[in-house]
Amino acid sequence: MAIMNIREAISSTLMAEMERDSSIIVLGEDIVGGAGTAGGPEAIGGIWGTTPGLYAKFGADRVIDTPISESAIIGAAAGAALAGKRPVAELMFADFVGVSLDQLWNQMAKFRYMFGGKTRCPAVVRLIYGAGMNTAAQHSQSVYAMLTAMPGLKVVLPTTPADAKGLLTEALRGDDPVMFFEHKTLYGVKGEVPDGEHRQRFGEARMVREGGDATVVACGRMVNFGEKAADKLAADGIGIDLIDLRTTSPLDEEAILDSVEATGRLIVADESPPRCSLAADIAALVAAKAFTSLKAPPQMVTGPHAPIPFARELERAWVPSPQKIEDAVRRALAFR
Amino acid sequence: MAKLKPFPMPKWGIEMSEGTIAEWLVEENRPFDKGTLLTLIETDKITNEVEAEAPGRFVRIIAKAGETYPVGTLLAVLSDGGEASAAEIDAVVAAFKPADSSFEPDTPVPSPAPVPAPAATPAPPPVPDDVAISPAARARAADAGVDVTGISGSGRGGRITAQDVDQAARAPTEPHLAGPYPLSPGGTAFASPMARRLATLHAVALDEITGTGPRGRIRKADVLARLADAAPPPPAPGEITVTPMSSMRRTIARRLTEAKSTIPHFYVRRRVRADRLLALRAAVQGQRPSVNDYLVKACALALREVPRLNIQVHGTEIHRFASADIAVAVATERGLVTPIVTAADQRSLADISATMAALAQRARAGTLKLEEFTGGSFSLSNLGGFGVEQFDAIINPPQGAILAVGTARPEPIDDDGAIRIVPVLHLSLSCDHRAIDGADAGRFMVALAALIEQPELL
Repeated sequence: MAIMNIREAISSTLMAEMERDSSIIVLGEDIVGGAGTAGGPEAIGGIWGTTPGLYAKFGADRVIDTPISESAIIGAAAGAALAGKRPVAELMFADFVGVSLDQLWNQMAKFRYMFGGKTRCPAVVRLIYGAGMNTAAQHSQSVYAMLTAMPGLKVVLPTTPADAKGLLTEALRGDDPVMFFEHKTLYGVKGEVPDGEHRQRFGEARMVREGGDATVVACGRMVNFGEKAADKLAADGIGIDLIDLRTTSPLDEEAILDSVEATGRLIVADESPPRCSLAADIAALVAAKAFTSLKAPPQMVTGPHAPIPFARELERAWVPSPQKIEDAVRRALAFR
Repeated sequence: MAKLKPFPMPKWGIEMSEGTIAEWLVEENRPFDKGTLLTLIETDKITNEVEAEAPGRFVRIIAKAGETYPVGTLLAVLSDGGEASAAEIDAVVAAFKPADSSFEPDTPVPSPAPVPAPAATPAPPPVPDDVAISPAARARAADAGVDVTGISGSGRGGRITAQDVDQAARAPTEPHLAGPYPLSPGGTAFASPMARRLATLHAVALDEITGTGPRGRIRKADVLARLADAAPPPPAPGEITVTPMSSMRRTIARRLTEAKSTIPHFYVRRRVRADRLLALRAAVQGQRPSVNDYLVKACALALREVPRLNIQVHGTEIHRFASADIAVAVATERGLVTPIVTAADQRSLADISATMAALAQRARAGTLKLEEFTGGSFSLSNLGGFGVEQFDAIINPPQGAILAVGTARPEPIDDDGAIRIVPVLHLSLSCDHRAIDGADAGRFMVALAALIEQPELL
C-alpha cells in the first residue's frame, strides 16, 4: 500500500496502463505541459497536474495536446476508439461537454448498438467537474446526471485514491465508453492505494459508514461531506449508512434498497440542481421499490435551481454542505 | 346553530363508580376559554378539577353541587360557544345515554382511559383566505382543527401541503435510534454491502457462498439462505435429543457450580451514561476499538484506583495483584472461555483492542494457550451485543469480582438539571464478600463510572 492523493493515483495509473497497453493514447487541452512549458520533466502535466511526464515517456504520438475544441477532442477520441485505439480524452472543464454532445451521445454511446454489436468503443473521457473553486457558472457544474441518463455510457465518480486507480484501470480494460468524473476539489485527497494491479468493478457501491438510522446516498464530493455529517451525527448516537455510489451508471440499486429497507430513511446528497437530478432519480427509485420501508419522505440535498454563483459567499451557499446533509438526516428522523 | 355536547360524570380509574359535585366553578351560559376550571368533583380517593378542553359554555347545568352521581350521569350540556334554544337542549338531554351504564365496578374489564368529560370538539380555526395552501390541506386543517398560520409550507413558494398539515397535527416523536455500526470488512468477495454486513454479523465465510445476483454477486438473500441451511433441522415433535456434555462443558459446569454455591456473592448495580464514550469511539479514524475494549481499559484503571478488588481468593488467603489482568468472557461454539488481557492498566487502547481481537480469534479457533486463559484478577462479561439490558454474572474463581455489562440503550438521564435521552449502560458488579466489602465495590463503581462518563481519561 502506498499513500498518495487522487491526482497522483490518476497520473500513476495512466502511466502504468500506457506502459502495459500501447494502444492507449491521451488527448486534451494543455495535457502535455501547461501554458508556457514544453513537454518534459519540468512540465506540470496540464492545469490539473494529472498527466505529468507522459509526454516525455510516450512522445507526441500518444500524448496529444489539442486546440480548445471539445467537439474535436471527443470526436477524435470516438474515431480513434473505433479504429482500435484506447483513447483517454480530457475535458478540462466538464461543463463544456455540451459542445461535444453529438460525438458523445449520438456517436460514442450508440456505436455498439447501431452497428449490431460488430464494433466497440473503448474510450475514456475524463471530465473535471464540480464547484468550490470559485470558477463561476460555466466552470463549476456537475453534469454527471445528464450523462447518466444516456444509455450506452458508463459514468464513474471516484472519491478516494484507491478507487481512482481501481476505477480508471477498470475503465481502460473495458470495451465501452466511460465518463470518468474527477472533482476538482478532491485531487488532494490522500489515502492508501493498493500496489500492483487494482481493478474496481463498476456498479458496486462502497459503504463509507454504517449505521441503522438513515441511508445517505452520495457521489463525488458529497461523499466526503457525508462523512463529516456522519461523524457529527454519530456523536449524538445517530448512525447512518453512507453509500458512495462510485458509478452512477451502472447503479448499485441493491446497495441502496437493502440499506433503506433496514433504515427506513433516505437522504440523497447531489452537487447539482434538484430538477431531473441524480437525487431525484434515486429518490424515485426508492419511493417506487421500497415505499413500504420508508418512515419519512426521501430528502434531497442539492443546490438550488440556479446557476452556480461566482461570488465566494454565494457559491458556498449554493453547494450542499455537511451541515445541510446533517440537517436533512435530522429532518427525516423528526418526521412523524 | 351552536354545537351541543353532553357533559357526563367522568370516570377516573377503574375503581371509580360515582362522584360528588363539590362545586361548579362557572355559571350557566357564561362563556369560558380553553383551560378554564369548570367544576370540582370528589371521588372516594381524590378531589379533581375538570378543565375546559376547548372554549365554550354550559347551556344547561343539571347536576347540583353537593350531590353524588354515578359515573356517566349527565351533569350538564355544553355548547361550543353559541347559545341554544331550550328545545335543542332538551333534545340533547333526551338523546343522552350514559356510556358507562352497563359497567359493573367489580368486573375487571379495562376501562377506557380516564379522560375528563368529553368537551365540545374544538372549533377549527378558520383557514385565512390569503394563505397559500392546497385544497386537500385546507380540508384536513379544518377537520383536524389545525391552525395553519404557524406552518411554513414545503410546497413551491411556501405553499402548505396536506403532508405539512398532517405533520403539524401530530405530536413530535423521538425516533428510536439504532446508532452507528462498525464498518463491515471489505475483503475480496464479490458481495453487496448488506450481504457483507450479514456475513460479518453471523460469521459466515463469503467465499463459500455462490452469489445469485448479477454477474454472480452475493446478495443479502444468499447469505440468509446460507444461515437457514446452517440452522439444524428442527427435531421431530416430542423427540428429545440427548448429547453428553463435552469436557469443556463439564469444566464450566463444575467451576460455576462451585463458585455459585461456595462464594457468598453480592451485587452492586449502577447505570452510566455512554453517549460520550460512543461519540469518542465514533470519532476514531481507521480501526475502531470495540466498546468492550474501552470497558476493559476502564475496568483496569478503576482497579488501579481500588486495588481491593484486584485480587484472587485462595482459601483464607487474599492474593493482591500489582497489575490488572482482565479476563474477558468470549462465547465460542464449544462454550464460554475467558482469555486474559494481562496488565490492561498499562496498555494503550489500541494495544488492548489488538490483543483482544487476537485472543478472541484464538479462543474461537480453540488454539488458546493455557496461560492465556488461566489466572486473571478480574473478569468482564458483556452481553450488550445481544441486546441484553442487564444481568448478573457468576464470579470466575479464584477471582474476587466480575462485571456484567448490558447494551447501551437510550434512556432519560439528569444532565445538569435537564432531561436528555442518551445511550445508557447498565453495569452489575458481582463480588466475593469473603474478601470484598460493599464499600469497596461502591468505590470501584464510582471510579468506573467516572472513566466511562469521561472517556477522554481512558
